[in-house]
Amino acid sequence: MSSPPESLRAIPRKGGRTPVAWQSQLHGGAEAEPSAPPRPFRRAWRTLLGGAMLAMLALFALLGPWLAGSPVEQDLRNTLAAPGAQHWLGTDVLGRSALARLAHAARLSLGLALLAALSAAVPGTLLGIAAAWCGGRTERALLMLADSVLAIPGLLLVLLFAALAPGALWAVYAGLSAALWVEYFRVSRAVARPVLAGDAVQASRLLGFGRGYVLRRHLLPALAPTLGTLLAFTTSQAVLALAALGFVGVGMQPPTPELGLMMTEAMPFYEEAPWLIAAPTALLVWLVAAMMLLNPDRETV
Amino acid sequence: MTTPLKSDTLLAVEDLGIQVGGKHLLRGISFALRAGEALTLVGESGAGKSLLAQAIMGNLPPGLQATGRITLDGTTTRAQDAAARRALWGRKLALLPQEPSLALNPLARVAPQLAEVYRLLHRRTASAAAAQAHQVLGDAGLGGAAHHYPWQLSGGMAQRAVAAITLAGGAPVLMVDEPTKGLDAQWRDRMVVLFRGVLASGGCLLTITHDLQVAHALGGQVIVLRHGVAVEQGDIGTVMAAPAHPFTRQLIAADPARWLPFAQPAVGEPVVQASGISKAYGTQQLFAPMDLEVRSGERIAVQGPSGTGKSTLGNVLLGLLAPDSGRVERSARLRPHALQKLYQDPVGSFAPHISLAQSLRDAARLHRCDWKAVQRRLAQLRVPEDLLARKPEQVSGGELQRIALARVLTAQPALLFADEPTSRLDPITQQEAIETLLSATQETGAALMLVTHDAHLAAAVATRTLHLQGA
Repeated sequence: MSSPPESLRAIPRKGGRTPVAWQSQLHGGAEAEPSAPPRPFRRAWRTLLGGAMLAMLALFALLGPWLAGSPVEQDLRNTLAAPGAQHWLGTDVLGRSALARLAHAARLSLGLALLAALSAAVPGTLLGIAAAWCGGRTERALLMLADSVLAIPGLLLVLLFAALAPGALWAVYAGLSAALWVEYFRVSRAVARPVLAGDAVQASRLLGFGRGYVLRRHLLPALAPTLGTLLAFTTSQAVLALAALGFVGVGMQPPTPELGLMMTEAMPFYEEAPWLIAAPTALLVWLVAAMMLLNPDRETV
Repeated sequence: MTTPLKSDTLLAVEDLGIQVGGKHLLRGISFALRAGEALTLVGESGAGKSLLAQAIMGNLPPGLQATGRITLDGTTTRAQDAAARRALWGRKLALLPQEPSLALNPLARVAPQLAEVYRLLHRRTASAAAAQAHQVLGDAGLGGAAHHYPWQLSGGMAQRAVAAITLAGGAPVLMVDEPTKGLDAQWRDRMVVLFRGVLASGGCLLTITHDLQVAHALGGQVIVLRHGVAVEQGDIGTVMAAPAHPFTRQLIAADPARWLPFAQPAVGEPVVQASGISKAYGTQQLFAPMDLEVRSGERIAVQGPSGTGKSTLGNVLLGLLAPDSGRVERSARLRPHALQKLYQDPVGSFAPHISLAQSLRDAARLHRCDWKAVQRRLAQLRVPEDLLARKPEQVSGGELQRIALARVLTAQPALLFADEPTSRLDPITQQEAIETLLSATQETGAALMLVTHDAHLAAAVATRTLHLQGA
């Protein structure tokens, strides 16, 4: 995750800002009920396709920024160029390579989203297990905290954090993590409760095994498949939230290449250069589709 | 054996086989039942007894193929043609399934589930159906539970409720799969009387059971199944009196009623002393204040009707539950984890995601028990070592119970609380499991508390019996 050099800051800020769909799915579908696995063949095929799509995207985000060159180098004699041999995805109004900007934006979005999802997953899961384990007051207090976070729309929570330090990466990251941990909490509590109440854990405790053993041999193996699914899901949610913030101008600031920001910048020229807005949109669709294909249990989300 | 079809034959099965992917699970089964006749299937667990009933119903699990012919009430269909027999369900053909708790609708109370049979099948009015449902449930000892949901019933109560619903349809061809599992002697005999009533009113009965006394009480024919083949078939009285096949002899000898009492153990120091313990759930008193002393080497059978807190007593003694009153004292000389438990469902007592070898190694390492010693113990319990690479659900119940025994023995227990450890096993496997359990306690001097429904088993094993009465 690198910020591009602050060499050039000129960017026309004209054109309409359309309101975006505020209700992102940050908290949608939190109930990951373990359902019967679908037919294995279809599931394997879907997972394979999703994994391949995701791998291609990750490769693009990792290697693209080196291969495609600088995302901020202007060429004012060659603005709004159509896709061609020199610039595969054309150039924007300042003559910057759309491909280079897309590659850098992909790296920023994916990296930040993955980091936010991971740092939501660890405390969320641990708190969920703690709630199921301790029960009583601890569980009620944690549930109340989770419910109060749930009561605020996820994107609003990110906006609150972003307002602390406009344009700063850490604020957006902290906001995303603060909104995403609830889902890990709820799911891991729901999975851990029956496991902890079961005969297998009782037998282990009678044999004298401690908490670490129950965590390692009973809880984590039971949680692993659900957490994997959830990680893919929340990462794509975080990418969408990041793009939504950039689109309305409270996320990353120009000239940082960011998917939502790129869309806003391309909006005024959608008639002359539709490929400019098509590229980041297509990348978002690609990412979310790959994540959904990886999620065999969430066909209806 | 093919019986020529007569007009009064209710159910005839000719050369029935079941296979999956070229492997035969059941083959060459033939029999015929006329009105008033009974047939009992006995044999080891996994011999295909339940599959036979499912094949006749026409609800085999997907992937399994049936061959042969089935004649129901004068109409012959191919065994594979399941849809042809589906129209007869409830009216002509009924099955009492093995897991009663899974057969009830979890979202509806018990009485309406029975009443709808009278209303929809027998075209009674709603009030007449409800009145009859209450009367039948009262006869089955479920009068107080008529308005309970299935999850509020104990295993034995659910069994009786499902039996009442199955019989309500009045189907002349009745198949019952383990109808007396989890019932004590009194309710088992009531169940047998119910089934005899079906026979007397012109029905026929196919029973699957581990309990040879139930088979004997019902009379009629018997088929002894092993590895999917009928090793012996004939009149139950003849077969029981003079079994021809060695497996049948083994099966009959393994009946707990024929067990010789085991050797008296050397009783030693008290292990656990409980004084004035009682426990209640909500308003329901499980057991009134009681005193109990368990000495090393002792073998105590715990008996009582379902729902009287037999398992709860164990959990209180093991320190898993705090009693409402009184106190449990364990001997000061015990090692920290000297109180251990064997579970009714061994699959549920192992971590499901790791191999059995891993579970055993973890336990051995924790209790500083040499792996060589564990291997010797496994050999003594006749557990093949390549079995350990599997996950718990991939091992049969009898083998897994022996592995569970090997695991608790790593902790060198002073008291073993065994909660119906053999109720899901066939007689031969049950006898083996009990014998290994007893020789292990004999060898280590551990006390044994055995919860069981079977009075014969209790008599053969126990040095004394603890009867819990319902409050």
